[in-house]
Amino acid sequence: MTGSACTATSLPGAGRKSSFWRLFYLLGPALAIIVLLFGGGLLLGLLQAVGHQPGQGFSSLSMHHFQNVFQDPDFMGSLGLTFYISATSTLVAGITSVILALILMRWAANNRAVNFLLQIPLTVPHLVIAISVILLLAPSGLVSRLCSIFSLIPNSTAFPLLINDKFSVGILLVYIWKEIPFITFMLLAVLKNMGPELAEVGATLNATAFQRFRYITLPIIGPSLGGGCLIVFAFTFGAFEVPYLLGRTYPLAMPVWAYKNYSDIDLLARPEGIAIGLIIAATVTFAIISSQALLHFGQKRGLSA
Amino acid sequence: MDSLNVLFRRAIPVLIVLAFFSVSHAELKHSVMSWDVAVKKAKGQTVDWYMWGGSPAVNKYVNGYLAVELKKRYDILLRQVPVKDIAEVVSKLVVEKQAGKNSDGSVDLMWINGENFRTCKQHELLYGPFADALPNQKYVDWTNPTVKNDFGTPVEAMESPWGSAQVVMIYDSVRTPDPPASIPALIDWIKANPGRFTYPAPPDFTGSAFVRHIFYHAAGSVERWQGEYSETELESAAARTYETLKDLKTSLWRRGETYPESPVRMNTLFADTEIDFSFSYHQGEASRNILDGLFPDTVRTFVFDEGTITNTHFVAIPYNAADKAAAMVVANFLLSPEAQLEKATPEIWGDFPAITPAKLSDDWKEKFVSLPRGKATLGDELLQAHQLPEPPSKILVYLEKGWEKRVLKNR
Repeated sequence: MTGSACTATSLPGAGRKSSFWRLFYLLGPALAIIVLLFGGGLLLGLLQAVGHQPGQGFSSLSMHHFQNVFQDPDFMGSLGLTFYISATSTLVAGITSVILALILMRWAANNRAVNFLLQIPLTVPHLVIAISVILLLAPSGLVSRLCSIFSLIPNSTAFPLLINDKFSVGILLVYIWKEIPFITFMLLAVLKNMGPELAEVGATLNATAFQRFRYITLPIIGPSLGGGCLIVFAFTFGAFEVPYLLGRTYPLAMPVWAYKNYSDIDLLARPEGIAIGLIIAATVTFAIISSQALLHFGQKRGLSA
Repeated sequence: MDSLNVLFRRAIPVLIVLAFFSVSHAELKHSVMSWDVAVKKAKGQTVDWYMWGGSPAVNKYVNGYLAVELKKRYDILLRQVPVKDIAEVVSKLVVEKQAGKNSDGSVDLMWINGENFRTCKQHELLYGPFADALPNQKYVDWTNPTVKNDFGTPVEAMESPWGSAQVVMIYDSVRTPDPPASIPALIDWIKANPGRFTYPAPPDFTGSAFVRHIFYHAAGSVERWQGEYSETELESAAARTYETLKDLKTSLWRRGETYPESPVRMNTLFADTEIDFSFSYHQGEASRNILDGLFPDTVRTFVFDEGTITNTHFVAIPYNAADKAAAMVVANFLLSPEAQLEKATPEIWGDFPAITPAKLSDDWKEKFVSLPRGKATLGDELLQAHQLPEPPSKILVYLEKGWEKRVLKNR
């Protein structure tokens, strides 16, 4: 390392303000691709969903595709189902991750084997897990056969319905299995940085374990937990392949409904598919904004310490 | 006298123009070249064949066998142009027709059937009738309604057959030694064996084909839908179809509360012994699955006594094709016993012949019969004797939408 490369003015570091142009050149290419492809796609989709026909300009814009979607008798059912899947998997994954992160922090913080095990679900795609769940939990699947070999159930038809069922058990299992390690790692990163000092102070002040958790640990992992849960919620709300394979034929989750409309033989159903996709995006955005607002509100009132 | 002169002088250019247009119009419509002229003109031409490119087996057959043979026998260069959906090509032809582009079209031959063919025929986008000028058409059974009509549209020699696909029922001879041989018998079997049958949810193509079988059964007639039918007739037959399917719901797999989303899933359920029947729109699929180890050796196929739905796929020549003569020669070669036999070989493609072995010479008949098709595949004669034509695509879509609303959602 030469001397000039080490001076504070030439090394980037935390808190160093970069000039706008420097940021522009460094982030520009990546941002350009994102804005062009993602933003452009979103814009084109929006144009199609509001009924834009090429060559007719603004006169053809109308909200009737969105109207058709909102007035469809299946809309509330589909929205409700998707919300149920996302909310339940987020809740269960969030709570389990907190417990798991605390346990790991306490007993196996630097255990490489445990860390490796926890990373496996992160690398396996959702689609593969969905198919594995079919193979495992179908009435003719592996678990059912093992149960009937060990005489836990009389035959395979007595095995409870866990996939393509009313309560979306299979879908929830897939999401929970995939998202727990995701959130756990986020929490572990924060917990490791935290250090034991604060908890020790709490103990010397006679706080119980639960009080230490509630007033010391929870606020510190709060932002990470909140962020992780929001990501999980947003992802599960818009994911297609898991409800497509493990859900019922009716009612459909919103992403599956959007896809069915988009690939319908009737080309007129396509803009409605796009409209449903945009509704999904809007719902997720709304969830993010409202949760941030709630957090902000809570902070202002001093509710979250 | 003078006014007559003027009239005459004015009339002649008009008459000439009219004559010119009628001749060129006639040229477009009626003067399909004869076979001998076609073979002569075809030498050295290049045929741009626009076809669905999504199957490696098909592509290999076209580029590996057909292209080589056509070059050798007729000095024709066959160029396959893979497309995602032939509907795009049809749209292009519509635009070209509107723009008045009547020659030097880039598309010489199209792999086409069903709705796309109907659009082409309606908009007069095809060169023909040419199929009856081909010598090999003598091997085709033109009286067969599945060849005479293409999804309800009369073919009238505007397209030449290439291959056929037929629905076959799949069962395990060990589990079900005596499968029901007709649709009423199948319905009785389902009710007597609840939870052991299902079908993929329309608009999946295979599931939709099953619904059409029930439609034919509920309507009581197959031929009626090939010609003119009234809306009320369709509505009442469809209503009876939905009633039959709704009635069956509680006897289906999972009590009809959910359906497999694809035929792949249905095959998995069948292989896992959750259900006792599967079915496929490809006659050779069961054998292929046995070879791949997905089905046990004892799986076999059968067709209903009243027949199963069949569709023929064709090739057609656009009205403005640049190499019409060579395209005709290619279409003829596709119908030759050699090409059809090669195509029917399971290792190559396994697509079933559009020609009837009954019309072949004895040694060709022998070759087709002895072609190893797989232990679960039925013979050509049996299959071709039990064929039902597809109804018009409009009925397909009508039934799919109706199934979703009336049977699935119970509205």
